[in-house]
Amino acid sequence: MLEMKNIKKIYRTESVATHALEDLTLTVTAGEFVSVTGPSGSGKTTFLNVAGLLDTFDSGSYILDGKDVSRLSDKEMSQMRNRAIGFIFQSFNLIPDLNVFDNVDVPLRYRGLGAKERKERIERALEMVGLSARLKHLPSQLSGGQQQRVAIARVLAGDPKLILADEPTGNLDSLMTREIMDLLGRINQSGTTIVMVTHSPECAERAHRQLHVFDGRVVDLERPRVTLASGNTSAGLAATLR
Amino acid sequence: MLTYNLKIALKSLRRNPVLTALLIGAIALGICVSTSFVTLRHLYTQDFLPGKSDEVFYVQLDTWGAERPFNEDRPELLPDLMTYRDARNLMQSKIPVRQSPMYITQYFVHPDPKMARPFQANVRLATSDFFEMFRLPFRYGGPWTKAADAKPEAVAVIDHETNEKVFGGENSVGKTIRLEERYFRVVGVLAPFRPALRVWELNRNPTGPPEPVYIPFNFTQPLEVPLAGNASSWKQETLDTYEQFLNSEMVWLQYWVELPDEASQRAYKEWLDHYARDQKKLGRFPRPVVRTSLSTIPQIIERNKFIPESVTTMSIVSLLFLVVCSVNLIGILLGKFLARVPEVSVRRALGASRAQIFWQHVVECELIGVAGGALGILLSLGLLEVLAKFVHSGEALRLDGEMLLVAGFLSLVAGLVAGVYPAWRVCSVPPAMQLKVQ
Repeated sequence: MLEMKNIKKIYRTESVATHALEDLTLTVTAGEFVSVTGPSGSGKTTFLNVAGLLDTFDSGSYILDGKDVSRLSDKEMSQMRNRAIGFIFQSFNLIPDLNVFDNVDVPLRYRGLGAKERKERIERALEMVGLSARLKHLPSQLSGGQQQRVAIARVLAGDPKLILADEPTGNLDSLMTREIMDLLGRINQSGTTIVMVTHSPECAERAHRQLHVFDGRVVDLERPRVTLASGNTSAGLAATLR
Repeated sequence: MLTYNLKIALKSLRRNPVLTALLIGAIALGICVSTSFVTLRHLYTQDFLPGKSDEVFYVQLDTWGAERPFNEDRPELLPDLMTYRDARNLMQSKIPVRQSPMYITQYFVHPDPKMARPFQANVRLATSDFFEMFRLPFRYGGPWTKAADAKPEAVAVIDHETNEKVFGGENSVGKTIRLEERYFRVVGVLAPFRPALRVWELNRNPTGPPEPVYIPFNFTQPLEVPLAGNASSWKQETLDTYEQFLNSEMVWLQYWVELPDEASQRAYKEWLDHYARDQKKLGRFPRPVVRTSLSTIPQIIERNKFIPESVTTMSIVSLLFLVVCSVNLIGILLGKFLARVPEVSVRRALGASRAQIFWQHVVECELIGVAGGALGILLSLGLLEVLAKFVHSGEALRLDGEMLLVAGFLSLVAGLVAGVYPAWRVCSVPPAMQLKVQ
C-alpha cells in the first residue's frame, strides 16, 4: 500500500535547515493498522503529510498504491488524495460554515460524482458514524466527538484505501476517545489501511503495529498485538523498518 | 463544478456583508463611470446607417473659381454644397437607386387656432427617396410618391411632435397642414426619432434634431422657397431675382445618392467625372483640375472631426479608472483569500487540485464583478442622464444592447483583474500549511 525508502525532508529558512525526516524507510501493506508515536517535533506530522501527498520530500522514493509519487503532477496527486487517501485530523478540520451534509460532500464534489450517488454515500457514511439526524447541523453545533465522527464520515464517504489519522483523539475526552478508536477499529476490520499518529500509548496499542519516530527516523518497532479479524493477517509483518 | 463554486462563492460573500458591499461598490463605481463614457463615445462612433454606410454617398463637385481653392487651409477639400443647376443636372442620372438634393427653409406652421398658435418650423425640401435612403421611421403613412415629386404635389411628411401639436397626435394622414399660406396634404407621420447625428445634415448642426416638416424638392422653383442657411460663391454675380439665384454659381444644396454595389459606384463616379468635364468645356468649373467626390458618412464624420477628442480621451480615462478600481481590490481580495488558507488546505487535503482552488476563487471574483457590473449599469443610467445635459444630441444618449454587452464584458474583466493574483496566491499555498493549526 505504502512504501517509503530513504525519505528525507528538510525545512530550510535563511539561516537554519531542519531535518524533519532522515532516511525514513517504511512499508505498510494493505489492511494494516499502524500507529506512529514519538515526541513533539520528531517528524510524525511531517511523515504523515508526506505520506498523504500534502507535502513534498527532498530525496528518497515513495510508492503509494503502486504509483511512484515523485512522478505525479499536482492534478494526479490531488486525485490520489481524493480517491485513495482519507485524512482524519486532531482538530477535525471541518469547514465551519458548511453543515454536516455539505462537509461530508466536499471530497465527493472534487471526484465529480453525480448528485444522487453523492447523497447516497453521504447518508450511508453518516449512518455508519451515527449522525444521520444531524445533517443540517453546523460544526459549531456539535460536540468534539461528533465533529470527529463527521470527519470520519467524510473519509468513509470517499471509500479510500488508506486512512491517515493525525492524533484523531487528541482533542477528545476518554469516553469519546474510546468511541472514535472503536470506530477506526471497525473501519480497519473492513479492510481499510490505517496509519495513525498519536501521543496516546493506549490508542497506539489498538494498532497492529506500533512505530516510533525520533529525530525524523523510525527507530522502534513493536510486534502487532491484535490479530486482524477480517483475514488481513500478518502481511504487515513483512514491513521493513530501519 | 461551476454550480458548486458559485455556491461556495455566495457563502463566502454572505460571510462578511460589509466587505462584500465594499468590493461590489468599487467595481460598480468603475463600471458606472467607464460604461457612461464609453456609451458617450459610442453615441458619436456608432454605425448610423447599419448595413448601408458604404452605400450612401455625399456628392461634391469642384465648381469653385480658378484663383483659389474652396478652402485655402485645406485645398484638398471640395465645396461642401452644390449649385442648383448642378443638382438639377445630377437628377438626370439613372444610376443611383435613390438620390436627393436637399436644403432647409423656414415656414410658419398654422395649426387649427383651437389647437395651438402658429409656430416657425424648419422645413426640409427633398425627394421621396430621402426617407428610405436614410431610413426615417414612419408611425403613420409613408413618403410621398415619385409622381408627387415630379408634379410636384402639395404633400408633406411631418414629425411626431408636429403631429402632436397640430393634430393632437392622431393619425393625420390625408389631413392638410398649412405652411405659410399654402395647404399641404399629410402623407406620412414620422415615429419619435432622435438620432445622435442627422447624417443627412453633416454640414450644418449635425447634432440637431430631425426637421419637423418635409416637402418635395421640386417646389423650390415654383414657390421660390427661400434658403434658411448659408450660401456661398466664388463669383461676383447679380442676384436680384430668385431665378438669378437659382442659375448662379452660388452653392447651397446638399446632394446624396444611394449606390448599392461597386459597379454602380464606379459607373456613377465615371458619369460624375464626365459631367464635370462637360461643364468645364461649357466654360464652368474653372479650377485647373476638375474634381468630383463621393464620400460615405463615416468618411465625412472622420474628415469633419465630429467626434470631440475630449470624448475619446474621457473614455480612455474612464477605462483606466475602472482598472484602478479593480487593482485597488487586489489587496482586499488577497487579504480575504489568504484568511481562508486553512479552509483551502482542508479542500486540498480532500482532493481539490490547485486549478480547482484557483477557479473557485476566480468564480467568487467574477460574482463580485457581475454584481458590481449590475449595480454599475444602474448607476450609469443616472450618470448618463447628467451627461445628456452637457453634450450635443444628449437626448440620444442611452444604454443600448451593445453598450450593455460592453458593460457586462467590462464587469467580467474587472472581476478577473481584481481576482487573478489573489486566486493564484491562495491556490499556491502548500496544502499541509494550515492543517495542524486549524
